[in-house]
Amino acid sequence: MSTPISRAVFLKVLAGCGIAAVAGKLALDAPYLKGSKEKIRCRMLGPSSKIGHRLRQAAGNEKVSGTQSTRVTIIGGGIAGLSAAWWLKKYGVNDFIILELEKEVGGNSASGSNPYGAFPWGAHYVPIPNTESLYVRQLFEELKIIQGYNAAGEPIYDELMLCHEPQDRLYKDGAFHEGLVPKRGLQTDESAEVARFFELMLSFRRATGSDGKQAFTIPLDLSSQDQNFIALDSISMSQWLNDNNFKCKPILWYVNYCCRDDYGSSTENVSAWAGIHYFAGRRGTAANSEPNAVLTWPQGNGFLVEKLKAPLKGCIRNNLMASAVKQKGNKVLTTCLHSDTNEYSAIESDFVIFAAPRYVAAHVIKDQKQPDTAHTHSNDFGLSYAPWMVANISLRQLPDSRGLAPAWDNVSYYSDSLGYVISNHQEISTRQKPTVITYYFPLSQMQPKAARQKLLQSTEEEWSRIIIEDLKGMHPNIEKDIISIDLWPWGHGLIRPSVGLIWGETRKRMKEAKGNILFAHSDMSGMSNFEEAQYHGVEAAKMVLEKLES
Amino acid sequence: MTYALLITAFVISTCGLIYELIAGTIASYLLGDSITQFSTVIGVYLFSMGIGSFLSKYVEKNIAFTFVQVELLVGVIGGCSATLLFLLFNQIDNFRILLYSLVAIIGILIGLEIPLLMRILQDRLDFKDLVSQVFTFDYVGALLASLLFPLVLVPYLGLIRTSFLFGLFNLGVAVWTIHLFRNELPYKNTLKSTAYLLIFALVCGFAFADKLMGIAEAATFQDPVIYSTSTPYQRIVLTGNSKDLRLFLNGNLQFSSRDEYRYHEALVHPAMASINAPKDILVLGGGDGLAVRELLKYPSVQTITLVDLDKEMTVLFKNQGMLTRLNQNSLNNSKVKVIINDAFIWLRTTPQKFDLAIIDFPDPSNYSLGKLYSDTFYKTLKNVLKPGGMVVVQSTSPFYAKNSFWCVDQTLRSVGFNTTPYHAYVPAFGDWGYVIGSLAPFKPASQTAYPAGLRYVSADTLPPMLCFAKDMLPTVSSVNKLNNQSLVHLFESEWGEYVDAH
Repeated sequence: MSTPISRAVFLKVLAGCGIAAVAGKLALDAPYLKGSKEKIRCRMLGPSSKIGHRLRQAAGNEKVSGTQSTRVTIIGGGIAGLSAAWWLKKYGVNDFIILELEKEVGGNSASGSNPYGAFPWGAHYVPIPNTESLYVRQLFEELKIIQGYNAAGEPIYDELMLCHEPQDRLYKDGAFHEGLVPKRGLQTDESAEVARFFELMLSFRRATGSDGKQAFTIPLDLSSQDQNFIALDSISMSQWLNDNNFKCKPILWYVNYCCRDDYGSSTENVSAWAGIHYFAGRRGTAANSEPNAVLTWPQGNGFLVEKLKAPLKGCIRNNLMASAVKQKGNKVLTTCLHSDTNEYSAIESDFVIFAAPRYVAAHVIKDQKQPDTAHTHSNDFGLSYAPWMVANISLRQLPDSRGLAPAWDNVSYYSDSLGYVISNHQEISTRQKPTVITYYFPLSQMQPKAARQKLLQSTEEEWSRIIIEDLKGMHPNIEKDIISIDLWPWGHGLIRPSVGLIWGETRKRMKEAKGNILFAHSDMSGMSNFEEAQYHGVEAAKMVLEKLES
Repeated sequence: MTYALLITAFVISTCGLIYELIAGTIASYLLGDSITQFSTVIGVYLFSMGIGSFLSKYVEKNIAFTFVQVELLVGVIGGCSATLLFLLFNQIDNFRILLYSLVAIIGILIGLEIPLLMRILQDRLDFKDLVSQVFTFDYVGALLASLLFPLVLVPYLGLIRTSFLFGLFNLGVAVWTIHLFRNELPYKNTLKSTAYLLIFALVCGFAFADKLMGIAEAATFQDPVIYSTSTPYQRIVLTGNSKDLRLFLNGNLQFSSRDEYRYHEALVHPAMASINAPKDILVLGGGDGLAVRELLKYPSVQTITLVDLDKEMTVLFKNQGMLTRLNQNSLNNSKVKVIINDAFIWLRTTPQKFDLAIIDFPDPSNYSLGKLYSDTFYKTLKNVLKPGGMVVVQSTSPFYAKNSFWCVDQTLRSVGFNTTPYHAYVPAFGDWGYVIGSLAPFKPASQTAYPAGLRYVSADTLPPMLCFAKDMLPTVSSVNKLNNQSLVHLFESEWGEYVDAH
């Protein structure tokens, strides 16, 4: 399961993974897809690999053109980094710098837009937060996503952001049906198994451990440490399903779909604790919606990125990659490479919040005692990341389909992809016009390393063809409606909550600060989502604030 | 043989008049203004007949041969004329050129017929008998045609089949003539096979007239389609006969000119008359200008803002003669401002405030329309009202879709409106429902507040409109929200029952 990352692969992947918002203006000079009767523009987007190569050439003692000082350096402008900045600013610390490798901040919540609308490149929704998700609620109150509370203390959400009906539809047996749980055409024993699964999940959702804490919470660090639940982390989800006598295809398909959706991995590669957390962790309620509703925006979580970014104008440095981070006395020196000028500069700060993916730290943070052994894997936890392909497909009109009308999330029972999300689902316009759908394809069928190679080596032609053929399974006539296909390969899309990662020793060590270097990223939870990323960002900021005061 | 030829005169004159009537009728359906259309068609037709008569003198040899050729041509052109006019109406820019050319060609050919026939008969009869008998049969044929056309042909066969049928009669005459002159005609076999081929073609046309009508879209509608266009948002179709003009959007009836006053009076006046000197009015949807027509009956009104999504629709109702007569040119009134935008999006940004907002959207038959009936929409609407302002919402039928109707009522109440549901009988739609949402309790107006000249709504007819019989009361209750779209679900299931029943 652990995939040792060689330096060469690391650099390649680094070049292909740190994704940020892209100005997705339709490149009118993008080539047409060959072999199609229709004129479909397709192109592969993604960061230039030049930065990575430059780093490889200059991994030694590069000349630094100048040194700047600040109190806190935040490395990585994803949700964790932006949330750390949000918290620091809220508590009066304005002297910080956010280093972002890409042209835009956002990380996994990157988004883009074209003449037909805005769309996500990655994360595209946040479930309504649990009561214990304090930081999420606090942010949502500030952003007026929560507009107030009713007498029962339930939040009132902005209804333009609560996912509009119909939310999900599943293509099975020739037509679309409501919801993602296969319901139609099941044998009675299959239906009984589906019902039993949800009853079990409900009992997990309500369960409390011997320490009085809830068994599954968000953020997951607040969950009960009762061994009865923690032990679920030492077996895989597929093992758990088997042990609990879940055998029929519909339920196995559904659970596997959910694991691929949230973790980019099939049930074999996800711990049972993480697999169950997906169903048992969410217990958000609202005054004006069903429980467990989701909040979404046309540009996905890029909406939250824009809101978090807005007050941070002067603090964000784009196109800057931290190439080395070193503790120097009670200061931390960060060397950064400017991807546009290829020059190096340095930032000296009291603290560094390392909010980039955790595996990158192994290659960037230099050990004080062995300064030249950054690549010795002393810091490498053998983390496994799921590679993804995300495509934004502009369509002249929504494709014809049988059964339920187009929903926000549209999934096929027969596809290896996760289906697609309609980006303008939340719009209040009644116009019929071109729209963009965001298609998600986790490469969970292969080992991550092989998958990553396939992801990065296949051409836009090959990917476009794969995607069109897949979509034709749901919509036989879709090809004629496609205007363009923009592709974004995520080399290291999401961290995999592999067996033993969440409650084993690894994650404890990952979270340990190194001197004045603190770690903040959803990787520290072993699963990638908005709530966990924000939690670690805020927690790191809180620690910095504490130390600054003392 | 003489009598056979005189019967021919009778048949061809009947056919000739039928083609003229078909052209005149289609022209008035498609272009409106039947007086002008009939006058011009008859004028062009008779004039062309004159040209035909004049040209007949240049036919010197083989008169029977020419006569057969003329019959074949009249048969095929006249027989296809209705189909051509219907099918090409939407395809060509200047329909009148096609119409008058077709009328002229048929007219010229018909004009040739009688002179040629008379010359064929001239050796067999005295001149006075010839003239007397040919014209007798000719005029009897005309009478028959003019009686058959409105009483039998149009009601039972329709225009397309009628024209094919009479084309076949002309071809029959051609075959008959070929038979009579079988010993004198050159190219007899060619003529014969051409005639049979054309007969086959017209029989096919007659048999598949429904398919052709389908292409011309007319089959889906009870009355002939007189205008149709596709906009980016909808298919607009206008159908009409001499008494009734109907507008369909995407196949759904929007109004019938015979009873739309009931719908629009009921939509506008109960709320409007109850407001003291209303000044600024908002209309959402309603690009037909018919609600605006009712609003303009109040002299206190200063501005009417109409927001509609579809520019084509408002352009049509600003410019098309038949339609501006119906809405009394309301959209061109200086008090009226037409805005082309999404109602929801426009509402969220407008700084204007209104005394009354009239919501005349299509029924909530899909999710994007369902959003325009949501509590979020009504909250937004509340923000554009003046203190004490009001809205009135067309709310589908409380008979066919009672739970949908009451869902609109409950959704309005959920955001703080006082609601006054009421209904009106509109024959084209059935029993139709509306809900007034007011910021202050609604007080029905006294008769003096209503404008003069209303035919349906009055202080006396309003109280029964406020009463709902038991069969119109709801069985479920729900608030329509963006994240439950309960109204679309209700509407689908309730109307679904009636659609399935057919």
